[in-house]
Amino acid sequence: MPRKIVIIGANATGVDAASAARKTDRTAEITLINKERHAGYSRCGLPFVIGGHIPNFNDLIVFPQSFYQMMKLNLKTETTTTSINPKNKTIDKTDKTGNTETIPYDSLILATGAYSFIPPIKGKEKQGVYSLRTMEDGLQIDQAIRNGARSAAVIGAGLIGLETAVALKERGLNTTVIELLPQVLPVMLDKDMAKHIHEMLEQKGLRIIIGKGVDEILGEEKVAAISVAGEQIPVGMVVVATGVRANTELATKAGIATGETRAIKTNTRMETNVKDIYAAGDCAESINIITKKPACPQLGTVAVRHAKVAGINAAGGYALFPGVLGSAVTQFFDTQIGVTGLTEFFARREGIETVAGTITSKTKADYYPGAKPIKVKLVVEKESQRIIGGQIIAEEDVNQRINALSFAIQKQMTIQELAKADTAYAPPLNETWEPMVLAAEVTLRKLR
Amino acid sequence: MVKVNDAEVPEGLYYTKDYEWVKIEGNKARIGITDYAQKQLREIVYAELPAQGDTTTQNEPYGTVESVKAVSDLIAPLSGKIEQINTEVQSNPELLNQDSYNKGWLLLITPTNMDELKKIMNHQQAIEWHKTL
Repeated sequence: MPRKIVIIGANATGVDAASAARKTDRTAEITLINKERHAGYSRCGLPFVIGGHIPNFNDLIVFPQSFYQMMKLNLKTETTTTSINPKNKTIDKTDKTGNTETIPYDSLILATGAYSFIPPIKGKEKQGVYSLRTMEDGLQIDQAIRNGARSAAVIGAGLIGLETAVALKERGLNTTVIELLPQVLPVMLDKDMAKHIHEMLEQKGLRIIIGKGVDEILGEEKVAAISVAGEQIPVGMVVVATGVRANTELATKAGIATGETRAIKTNTRMETNVKDIYAAGDCAESINIITKKPACPQLGTVAVRHAKVAGINAAGGYALFPGVLGSAVTQFFDTQIGVTGLTEFFARREGIETVAGTITSKTKADYYPGAKPIKVKLVVEKESQRIIGGQIIAEEDVNQRINALSFAIQKQMTIQELAKADTAYAPPLNETWEPMVLAAEVTLRKLR
Repeated sequence: MVKVNDAEVPEGLYYTKDYEWVKIEGNKARIGITDYAQKQLREIVYAELPAQGDTTTQNEPYGTVESVKAVSDLIAPLSGKIEQINTEVQSNPELLNQDSYNKGWLLLITPTNMDELKKIMNHQQAIEWHKTL
């Protein structure tokens, strides 16, 4: 009898888990159940379609129908899983016509993702209030722009909020961003680094309001304005980007435990507390490599890494998940921003004593035409002198440096070792002294 | 060169719905995967092939190709005796992505029953089938 693997969710996590399962077990019956009409698409690309960098929403579909055929994956879209019965090892599902069916599983992978959390702001139910999580959300926002929205408010200055705000600005909308916390990108960057992004966004014509909340969304049926600290700002649409929360309802009802991040608790094999049930992606908790505490960074790279491990294990193989650092990058207009590990702020909150160093250098030899400024900040744990975090802002070459710092952190490199690191150089590609090495030297000096 | 939705479907070959092509060379048949298949699989990293002297059976798996994200069984389009395998594809699997109809061939077999060709698609049928993918 072939092994029956059921996967709930069919985007980055679900499909990657299915691929890994298929590679591990060539004969398993693999069924993917997806609530949305669209499956196998990249959510991360949505703001860049809205901004006009990618022509169509359909371009985000990474896995076309034919992929499932070739891989012999049974994909059911617009189908909701209504319950999990671990005792009988079955799930119940309902398709869009209301037909219900019970499907047995040998292994079950929960890739239920997350939902946009909308805080209880007065007027949030008005027409013209959106969030950006699904392709449908993206299509609605795009349609609102096509219908003539001239101005927008984005609530929340995290990664998705700012990516969306930049996209709206690129589409010509007068855009205001409101962030309750006292800085933009509060999870990604320390305040000193965030300040540069704040200023850059203002120079590009966005209005950024920090340290204030939205009191009310105003208008009759449709959004007309928002009220922020007594000021009424007229807007044609509102995008709420105040974070996402793990979808855990289905799991909880089946007795599957959640952890302190409110996501589904997993072990290093991505197993939940219930036998033969795995969780992966935005709905699943894992361990932060530095703090060794539960973490749920809800990033695409974490999703696919979780998925691979869950898929292999669910198909009878053996794979371990080593943990997360929260490495992330993005681009706003011409500015790239990257982070890995802990910021100074979060490290201190965890009780870790830190020393940090920041430098501004160039992305090419100083004399080379087109060299751009690059800002590198390193965060070091004081006693071990190990690198625990990095933040980089530049117009180019951020991503691979963030990856290099991530590797350094994972291998527990000390700041002394980074200061002496062997790096490459040619005038059109780098400064003679690699900016990360310079940042290490500055940090080292503070430790002496 | 005939192209259907970006996938090349060259003339003079037979095709199967398991994404394989067959080229008759005298009393022998050369076998490989289609352009459509390699495009779906993307970066192919591994090709597991049988040994010279083994046999193939029509519609039965004879090996696998694995890419970064996908894996697909290779299903024999014809029954026969394997005369030669493309060892170059084993050491250099990206040949399947670069040139699936020529340098990326997989097996050269002596078919035991040429009548089996009637059970697979000719060029015109393959074009129509590719349109439905």
